Parts: sequence; structure tokens; C-alpha cells
Amino acid sequence: MRARQISVFLARRVLALIVLLLLISFLVFGLLYLAPGNAIQVLLGTHPSSPAIVAALKAKYHLNDPFIEQYLVWLKGAVRLNLGVSIQSGQTVTALIGSRIGVTAFLGVYAFLVAVVFGVPAGVIAAMHSRGIADRAIVGISLLGVSVPAFVSGVFLLYLLAIDAGWFPVYGPGVGFVDRLWHLTLPALALAFGVMALIVKLTRAAMITVLEQDYIAFAQARGVGPVRVIVRYALRNALGPIITAGGLILGVVLTGAVLVEQVFALPGIGSLLVTSVEAKDVPVVQGFTLLAAAILIAANFLIDLCFLFIDPRITAGRGAQ
Amino acid sequence: MTVITAPDAGTLVTPRKRGRRRPSLLIALSFLIVALVVICAFFGSQIAPFGANAQNLSLATQAPSAHHLLGTDDFGRDILSRLIVGARAAVIGPTLIAVGALIIGNALGLIAGYVGGRVDYFIMRLADLVWALPGLLIAIVVVGVIGGGYYVAVTVLIVLTFPVDARIVRGAALQQRNMPYVEAAGTLGISPWRVMLRHIWPNLLPLVMANTFLNFAFSLVALSGLSFLGLGVPLNTPDWGGMLAQNFSLIQSNAMACLGPAIALVLTATSMNLIGDWIYERLSDRGRAR
Amino acid sequence: MTAGAAAEPLLTVSGLRISSRLQGTDRVITVGTSFSLAPGETLGIVGESGSGKSMTARALIGLLPAGVRAEGEVIYRGRNVLTMGGRELRQVRGAEIAMIFQDPFTMLNPLMQCGAQIVELVTDQDGKRPGRAARREEAARRLAEVGITDPAVADAYPFELSGGMRQRVGIAAAIARDPQVLIADEPSTALDVTTQREILARLREVQRARGMGLIMITHDLRVAFALCDRVLVLYAGSVLETAAAERMEAEPLHPYTLGLLLSDPPVDRRLSQMAAIPGSVPAPDQIASSCAFAPRCEWRAEPCTLAAPPLAEVAGDRWSACIRIPEITPEMQRARAEALAAQVGQDETAALPDDAGLPGAVVAARDLQKVFGDKRQSGRRVAALKGVTLEIGENEAVGLVGESGSGKTTLGRCLVGLETPTGGSVVVNGVDTRQAARLGSAERRRLRRTVQMVFQDPYSTLNPVRTVGSTLAEALSAADDQVRDVRRAVAELLEQVGLPARYAERKPVALSGGERQRVAVARALAVRPRLIVCDEPVSALDVSVQAQILNLLTAVRRELGVSYLFITHDLAVVRQVAERVYVLRQGEVVEQGSTSEVLDHPRHWYTRMLVDSIPSSEEAWLEQASAAEPAPSQG
Repeated sequence: MRARQISVFLARRVLALIVLLLLISFLVFGLLYLAPGNAIQVLLGTHPSSPAIVAALKAKYHLNDPFIEQYLVWLKGAVRLNLGVSIQSGQTVTALIGSRIGVTAFLGVYAFLVAVVFGVPAGVIAAMHSRGIADRAIVGISLLGVSVPAFVSGVFLLYLLAIDAGWFPVYGPGVGFVDRLWHLTLPALALAFGVMALIVKLTRAAMITVLEQDYIAFAQARGVGPVRVIVRYALRNALGPIITAGGLILGVVLTGAVLVEQVFALPGIGSLLVTSVEAKDVPVVQGFTLLAAAILIAANFLIDLCFLFIDPRITAGRGAQ
Repeated sequence: MTVITAPDAGTLVTPRKRGRRRPSLLIALSFLIVALVVICAFFGSQIAPFGANAQNLSLATQAPSAHHLLGTDDFGRDILSRLIVGARAAVIGPTLIAVGALIIGNALGLIAGYVGGRVDYFIMRLADLVWALPGLLIAIVVVGVIGGGYYVAVTVLIVLTFPVDARIVRGAALQQRNMPYVEAAGTLGISPWRVMLRHIWPNLLPLVMANTFLNFAFSLVALSGLSFLGLGVPLNTPDWGGMLAQNFSLIQSNAMACLGPAIALVLTATSMNLIGDWIYERLSDRGRAR
Repeated sequence: MTAGAAAEPLLTVSGLRISSRLQGTDRVITVGTSFSLAPGETLGIVGESGSGKSMTARALIGLLPAGVRAEGEVIYRGRNVLTMGGRELRQVRGAEIAMIFQDPFTMLNPLMQCGAQIVELVTDQDGKRPGRAARREEAARRLAEVGITDPAVADAYPFELSGGMRQRVGIAAAIARDPQVLIADEPSTALDVTTQREILARLREVQRARGMGLIMITHDLRVAFALCDRVLVLYAGSVLETAAAERMEAEPLHPYTLGLLLSDPPVDRRLSQMAAIPGSVPAPDQIASSCAFAPRCEWRAEPCTLAAPPLAEVAGDRWSACIRIPEITPEMQRARAEALAAQVGQDETAALPDDAGLPGAVVAARDLQKVFGDKRQSGRRVAALKGVTLEIGENEAVGLVGESGSGKTTLGRCLVGLETPTGGSVVVNGVDTRQAARLGSAERRRLRRTVQMVFQDPYSTLNPVRTVGSTLAEALSAADDQVRDVRRAVAELLEQVGLPARYAERKPVALSGGERQRVAVARALAVRPRLIVCDEPVSALDVSVQAQILNLLTAVRRELGVSYLFITHDLAVVRQVAERVYVLRQGEVVEQGSTSEVLDHPRHWYTRMLVDSIPSSEEAWLEQASAAEPAPSQG
């Protein structure tokens, strides 16, 4: 019976997911028509025009067909990972994104790890010493993290540690693993600052709520050691809200990456987005947005999946009350 | 993406000694900064020592001096003056966004929470959609593709902010709906509109007000992010994000050209965040049981 | 059944002074309390809210919350618990002194299996953690000790068990390391009466088998007398009386204890007026330099307010903090006898026929059904009401008795209109509510106002941002748009519920629980209803305040002739208020009739079980509960 309930739950989630993706793909497709000028002008970009070229474009992009049909054609291609061709460079969108996603992924993972490794313990400590000095300090720093956008912290770090102190390179992604690590440290830190603030906020709030619960006091009353109380009793129960926000955190990382890549001149998909947007290179923008949406939605789904294993209450349908 | 959890910087701003409710130094400072920024927004052109767009190429890219307190940029424009006048863009947009999201989000959230039904369904789906994708990213894409300016960016951000606000208000309204005093008002025969406005909403005030300030801070950060990337830049007036981007190349010769707007941004956003959290603490302390 | 007088006490508390420091202000919680616990003894600490009993319990085990500190001595085996360091304290907790908490629903880690929580810290003879199989055996053994024989429970998560089961698991976990002292902080308050009896019996069994000392914290004197050897009465942070349980019950030697005893409604008779203690519990700071109870005491005299009286031995092993005891004892005895004699005459209650279809019933429910949950999700549907028929006539007080899950609250809400029944009908003033849509809006509003409700929780029944006056004014204008002199009308309402007119300017946060509940009654009365549904209106209040509110309700009825549907789980309370009673079990009426008939001679087994579950100090009460197997659907 549990297996059946799980599969029903999963099926429903997957369905909702697909609907959401379709809706977003529809909106993304419509971007072509949002851009100023008609579709032909957009697709031409800065290339010269001629009746032959215009006719070719019309045929290639099915511009004479009704909107819905154009959308379906595009969708079919998208599903097969054929996202069109970049207006600026002529490369396929897939190739373009593929060549640059490595840098962003590295940056994102690096920043995420830093944020979690420092953020979760900081949130736990802040909650344990609520209203004390450690708490005030940690909350203060995380407040800054929320108020300082990633590009600002990037600029500060760049100035202080790269230009002024010269400890880190000023730009570029680096070659080879260690070199890349060194090059991406400042960008990752800039990015991590904002993400860490979010994680600290979530962890602290969740831990404070949990620490007030009776089962913590009961565990202490039975003589359970303090480490075990924090980890097995408190943290385990507090993880719920933190993990739920995983999708949000990923979104913040992605957004921050776009800004940080500008500051440090990194050839990732973030800076690709910026240049494409400036040049109105719609196919690339569409490709990026679709990819971002797919990643985020998949991440949320995986998180929901995680919960099935973490919290026994969910599959039992909030059982025998 | 505003108030995910209840504002928590209350620890920073709650005074250590009770007795007389004096706000802490930090809050006083925040209010001061915000007041300063607002004054600059309104009277910037009068206060600034030089014209914001006054070019003087012979004095280009100079380090801070007695004459130009923050130095000049590559067009010879005084950084300090541009900073002061730039306060206008830093205040108008975020205010519009915060207020817009407040009005729309609250109205929809209240109805969704108390009345439920179709409005509720619509709000939840909309909030889900917006929640799934990071707002700033969408804003970059949309504003970039449309090619609009400052007010286009403001509109897009309002549209992206209100659904989450509505969801938060909806959640709070749902909680209120189950309170005995709301149910009692129903049994007394008081009309649903009156119940919403006079019974439910006043109890949401701490949350709503705090949220508005936090929204302001977030919008400021978002807008400046956009203008940093060259999107949604106001015409003819300087703005801090844009200045940061433009003067980035000057960082070796006149760092203040870049750091100045950065500091202004951070100070303003931090102050608004602090004030938002403080409001939440203050207002929710009243009317506590026992 | 105390150990020999010469035995060394397990725990000796002297001068325990607990205070809290919140944001710069010091608040006193208890004022130098002293008591001791002998081996194998059960000591009851009885107090209302604000007495400091929970903090005292926590101080004994060193678990005071942040910002609260304790001074004095808590001596266990020669060491002072209050001055122990972290490590020493951890060795004492659980292995020497253990504690179980009040709410079984929050006491256990929701993400850890029950068995694991019980044997978490158990070690074998060598001090090592036993292997998996050994642990399973241990868990099963300990569950059996608390009366759980189903092996599946050890692998279950807390949410899969009922409240009673969880409480037993909690007890098993608390005593897993064989402590000498067990502190039980209101262990049965959150449970149904029937489950309460079992848990208390179980506690007594476990205690006797192991020879532990038991400290029982409770607000319910009846429970204390049923379970404890000695009782200590705590009020506003001071100990007012200490004595052996039977002797205290037979003859209390402090006006407060007497007041507490009299505030407890008797289940065997209906009193025309309950002897209530006026006023409400003060904060310990306020009465620091006088007798704590003096402001509310009937026998207060000059010397009482000069200094805080110490606990003195006024008779053989009987201690009291009342300095006037020698003089006032005969008066107290007289007052007690009078209070209990003031019962409503038998003929008054017998005159009312039981449910013979009273003419012109104000509200009637016919075959009422209510099912909660989604039609699509069959697993989640709960049938709260399965066909209930009842009637309430003009100027009639009807009781509705049941435990949790009986559907009594749902029924009340259906009558008021806060829930829509899924089957059957509700007829108000002769109009079937299903046809209400056909009436004009003014008619419909009038119909709604016929039935009003008083809710259970006084702390959320009033809108915190509105003053009392504005809440009542709004209620008044809902009834009658043309109320001329609103201020006077509000003042009259307040007077009717026993509050001074100046309360109109106050906000709820400035009122005590009892006062807030009075305002709630006033709000219900403002629209001149014919029936007021009272949903457990006194269960969240202190016992001394309960009696005040019950008296108020009776007085209001006498003056205005309004009917009541009084919903409660407490049989003694329903006896005082209602002439007729319905007993509800799992959505069905199992018995009905005149209150005296149903309570004195119950016919249905469930009613009999409810009556038997009322705590009594007879030995048999606990013995019989231990012998009986728990009913399958309960804990």
C-alpha cells in the first residue's frame, strides 16, 4: 500500500511538472514576439537583408504559419535538444551553451559548497545562542549578505583582494582544475555571500523553532548528550524547511552567477545571457531560459523526492491522528 | 522572494535593556541613512556640488580631492554629485514596486485566504509559477528582450513580486480565519468584507509592513542589478547600478568611482532591511497574550 | 504508604528561589520553597497557572529555560543539583532523576522510531551499547512494562500512535535507565479522562515495582488525592500547605486549599451556586511582602498583609502558611459544609422530562451527519457525526458530553452555522437551515443570530488589536443598526457579565483569562440570542476561575432565560450547568436523559466508563484500572 501511495504521489508531481514546463516553454517561445520590431528584424539582427534571405528565414522559422504551429514546431525541436541557431555567431544554441556551461557549473557548485559548509553551522550556532553575542554577529553578517548584491560583493572582493592585495587573479576562468579553483575563488565567495545569508536565515529560523519543542527538552531530561541532541534531534527535524528551499537557493545561485560572471569576466552561460540579451539574440535567450527552467523544476522535483525518504509522515498521509 | 521566513534581524535591533522603549543605535542610524537618501532623492540637484551630467574632460578620472570629494569619472563628472542625484532612481523605482506589490498582493491574498475559491486557486498557481523561476533572471530576460527602460523594469518587477506577497498574505489570512474572533464575527452576521478589513487585516499589519520594507530593499538590489547589466537604465539620470558598471573600468585609477555607488547601495538596502525587521518586532509585540 | 520516618529522603529541596531575567527586568517565579521526597513516596505538587510548579519541576532536573535561574539547594545523594556542571548533570539526568512531560504529542522525536528512543541510552553490564538484537529485546521488555505488548509499536513512529500510547512510550523512555526519582509534569492533562486513568494507574504500578520516588505536578486536586501520598499546594510561587493526601482532603488547613477544593464541581450533586474564589492569581512579585493569598482571602486580617507568613507546623506533620489557622478552622469547616449543602433540590431537576419532543424547540438537529475530507481521497475521510438527533428547548440548558473525537465540537459548530452538515438537518426557530437561502438577507441574518457561540480558548477569542468596547459595540450594531447610546449599551453588557464599565477601553492583552471569557459571553449576549453554544468554555481556565464563569452562566440564564448547549468532557461541570445531557461517542449519541439520572445511574457501558474515570481518592480507583485491559481504540 505504501508503494502505491508513493507512485500516485510521484505521478501527480510529474504531471504538474510537465504542465509547468509546457507553460513556461510557451512563454519562452513568445519572447520572439516580445522583442521590438517584427520577427524578421529580430532574426536578421545586424546581418544585411535581402528578399532571398527574408524568404529563407520565413521558411526556416515557419513564420507564415499560425502562432500555435510555430510553437509546436519549436517545441518538437526543443525536446530533441535542437534549440536553433544563434543569430550573432551562427553556432547552434546547444553547442554554444554546452561550451560555456562548465564554467558556470564549477562556479555554482563551488559557491554552493562554501555557502552550505559555513552557512548551516552558523545558523545552528546562532539558534543555539539565540539573542546572545554570537547570534547577533551571525545575524548581522547575514543581513549584509541579503543587502549586498552579488556584483557589489564581487567588486569589493575584486578591489581588495585582487587589485589591491594581488592575492587572486583579476579575471578569467583559469586552465586546469587547480588553476580554475584559484581563479574562481573570488567569484565563488562573492556569490556565496548572498547564498550563505539565505541559508543562515533558513537554518536559524528552523532550528529556533525546533529547539523550542518538547522533544528536545525530553531528550535532555533523559541525559542524551548535547551533540546527539543537536544533530539527531534538532537538525534532523529542522532540515525539512531548509531542503524545501533548495530550489530557491539554486535560483539565487544562478542569478548571482550571471552578475558575478560580468564582474570577473568569466565565459560562462551567465555572461552568454547578458551578451545575447543585449544583441537581442533571441534563440540563445530562449535556449538559456528553457534550460534554466528545466534545471530548476527538475531540482524541485528531486527535492520533493528526497522528502519521501526523510519524512515518514508524508507517505503515510499524515497518518493515525 | 522576499520574506521566506519571518524577519529575524530583530535580535540586532531589540534593545538589551527593557524599561523605556528606546530604539537601538543601529535602528536610529538606519532611519538616518534612509532619511538622507530620501532627501537626496527629492532635492538632489540642489544639494549636489556639481551638476550630475556636467562634464569636464580636463579633469577626467581623478582620484578624490578636496574639490571633488569622490573624484571624477572618465567624463570628468563629479562622482559625489552623481551619487546624490542617483538617489532618485534608487528611491522611486523600489517604492513603486513595494507599494504596487503591497496593494495588489494584499488585496488578492486577503481574498484568497478568507474567501478561497477561484481566486485562491489562481493565486497559488501564479505564485507557484513565479516561485519556480528566479525573479531577477526573468526580469533580465524580459526587460532585455523587450528593450525597455526604467519603468518597464519597474513594471516587470511588480508583476514578479506580488504573487509571492499574495501567497504570504494568504497564508496569514488563512491562519486568522480559524481564529475564534473571526469566526465569532461571522456568527454575529458581520459581512465578509468587514471581517476581512477590520478583523483580519489589522492583525496582518506587522507582517505586511515589514514585508513592504524588505520588498523595497530587495527591489533596490534587483533594479541596480539590472542597470549594472545595462538593462532598465533610467534616461539622463545617473543611477547607482549603472555607475558601478560604467566606472568598473576605472577601478585601478579612481576606485571610489566604483566603490562609492556600491557603498551607497549597500547602506540603503541594509538600512531598509533592518527597519523592516524592527517594525516586525515592534508591531508583533503588542497584543501578545498573557 | 510512606517509608519509615527514619529513612533518608531521596531529594531535599530548601529555599528554592526561581526567577527570570527577561530583557533587563527580574521576575520572581517561586519564593524560597522547601520540601522533600522520601524513597517510594508519591509527592503531589498542586498549583494553578502562575504558581511556578512547572518551573519547579524543571529546576529539580536542571532544565530551566534560558534566562531563568534558580537559587537554593536541591540535594540529591548529597550533591546540589543546582550547582552541578554540565557533565555531572547529564549523568544525573535520566539515570538518577528523570522527567516526563505534559504533551505526549510533542514529547517524542517525530523522526525516530519509538523503540529506538526508549533504548537509546541503555547500556549492558560492561557499559557498552548492546547489539541490535539485544536492543530489540530490551525495547520489547520495557514496552511490556508500561503495558504495550504489540511488538510493532517499537518500530512505529510516534505519529502512528494514539496519545495514550505515546505517553506510555514516553514513560518507558524516561525510566529506561532506572532512575530513583521520576518527575511527572502534568502527565495526563492532555489526555482523555479514560486514558488518564490508565496512565495514572500505569505510573503507580511502575513506581511501586521499582520503588521509585514520584513527584507529580498537577493542577487537578482530584488527581493529586487519587495518586499521591503527600500533597504540596503551591500558589503564586509560595508553598501554602503541605500534608498527607487523605488528611488534606478531609480537612484543608489553608483558606486557599479550601477554596480550591470548593471550586472543584462535585459530580454527585448540582449546586445552586459554586463557592468561587474572587479575583485571579497575582504575579509573585506583586504579593512579595504579604501572604500570597491575602488579597483574595475571606478571612484576611491585618497581620496577613504585613509580612509573608512562613510555612509552620500547625498540627502533626501538617504544615500551613496561614497564620490565622487556629482561629478560623471552625469557620472554614462551616463554610465548607454550607457550600456543599447549597444544592439544587431534587424535584427541580426531576421535573424536566427527558427528550419527549419539547414543543417549540429553539434548535433541533435531526439525523445530523458530517464527514470531513476529500471525496477523492478515500483514505482521508473522517465521519465526525454519524446521525445525531437532539433538541434544545426554550430556557433550557442541555449538556453535550464526550471525549476527543466524539464529534461534540463539530456538532456545536453545525448548530451555530460554522460547519455545513453533509447529511441531516438543523432546524433553528422552526426554520430548516437548508432552506435558509430562500429567505431574505435580513431574515437570514436574524436566523444566524439566534444561535451564538462561546469558544474554548480565552486567549484567542477576542481580537487582540481591538478594545473590549469596540468589539462589543460592533456586536451590538450587528444586532440593531440603530443603537442610540452605544457607550451605555456597552457598559450595560459589561455589567451583566460582572465587569466594570471602564474595561471598555482596555485591550484583551490587559485582561486575565477569566475576564476575557466574560467579554466573550457579553459579545454573545449582545445580539440577544435564544441559544448559546458553549464549547468547553472553562476547560482552559484555572479551577478557581472556572467556578466564577459557571456561576456567571447560571446567573445570566436566570436573568435572561437564554438556553445553553454546554459542550464539555467534564462530567462534574456538566452536572452543575445542565438539566439534560447527551453522551456522544464517535459521532453517535449513546445515551441521553436528565443529568442526574444519566450520571447517577448510567445505562450505557461508555457512560459508565466515563463516570468511573473521574478521579477519586479511593484505592480501588487505580487498582481496577490496572487490572482492566485498555479498550482497543484508546491508548
